[in-house]
Amino acid sequence: MASTSSAGAPAHSHGFGPGKLFLNWLVLVCLTFSTFGVSQIPMPVNYHLAAALCIAVVKLSLVVLFFMHLWWGEGINRIVFVTSFLFLFLLMFFVMADVGTRFTLSNSRIPPPPKIDQTLMPTGMPPGMGTVPQGHSEGSGASSGEAGKR
Amino acid sequence: MQSSAARKMTAEGWLEPPPVPHHYESEENHKHALRLGMWLFLGTEVLLFAGIFVGYFVFRTYFPEAFEQAGRHLSLFWGTANTLVLLTSSLTVATAHYYAEHGKNRNAFWLLTASITMGGMFLCIKGIEYHDKFVELALPGKFFHFNEITAPGGPIFYVVYFFATGLHALHVIVGMSLLTWVAVRCWRKEFSPQYYAPVENAGLYWHLVDLVWIFLYPLLYLV
Repeated sequence: MASTSSAGAPAHSHGFGPGKLFLNWLVLVCLTFSTFGVSQIPMPVNYHLAAALCIAVVKLSLVVLFFMHLWWGEGINRIVFVTSFLFLFLLMFFVMADVGTRFTLSNSRIPPPPKIDQTLMPTGMPPGMGTVPQGHSEGSGASSGEAGKR
Repeated sequence: MQSSAARKMTAEGWLEPPPVPHHYESEENHKHALRLGMWLFLGTEVLLFAGIFVGYFVFRTYFPEAFEQAGRHLSLFWGTANTLVLLTSSLTVATAHYYAEHGKNRNAFWLLTASITMGGMFLCIKGIEYHDKFVELALPGKFFHFNEITAPGGPIFYVVYFFATGLHALHVIVGMSLLTWVAVRCWRKEFSPQYYAPVENAGLYWHLVDLVWIFLYPLLYLV
């Protein structure tokens, strides 16, 4: 990269001018409306999630590359930013790999936890509290542990 | 750093840049260091929000129905409006950076003022949304008394919602303060092709705030 001269306009002058920045903004606005539009199409929720995340990643790239000048930036700054996302990915991947793959120990002698009778719950309990999350009522480690104690 | 009062106005119409600290071999070297420092900080910000996003996905896996129901109760109109407000403020900040780099301090000042105003608009809209949630008692944890969410996990959704948007709003406030500081310095015509790092770095912070919202918006409001 050319170094800046000590006077006058920047010698390298990297980055978009106002026109191209505006164009970038226009694309971002279109993407915002498209992510909104896609969310209104009836399809399974996981598809919605995937579509929304894909559009968000495209928007992220546009902001980072052109508004934040990483397109023209020094390599070290790119490494820093990408590395932070690498660690985000590591955290997300291993946590979700754990949460997403828990299952009932089918050959366990521990009986399935009893169904919690809502009428026995203390009064004044807000709705949604005290019930066992669906899909976990018969399997997750926490609830079977509690069942064992009772 | 030398105070601006001691710096002379150049013929081009901006204050002469502060001297490059002696341990940098060149002006460009100094700029690189300032930029790298900011990017490192932004990296830690990404990691800060990473925890919240991971929390979001974990609880979403545990309570998918509550997250869907609660997401439908958020105002799509205000959410989308806020996305557009933040995107536009990012555009004005990026353009202000361009003008500051070209020594057009007045243009940069007005664009930064517009950005700060849009930051304020964002917070007002957020306030309207928070107000609605407080009226409905759609609140985190034990304060949750919102009957329209029947699936288990409603209180958890609002913990994630308020924590994520609250931390983001805090960043908006910090960003607005930084932009105000930079705007004042633009008014004093401190920036020039040789010295515009404060505009650039405050701008980078503001863009990061926008980036976080780019992910919060679809995850909370749309899916």
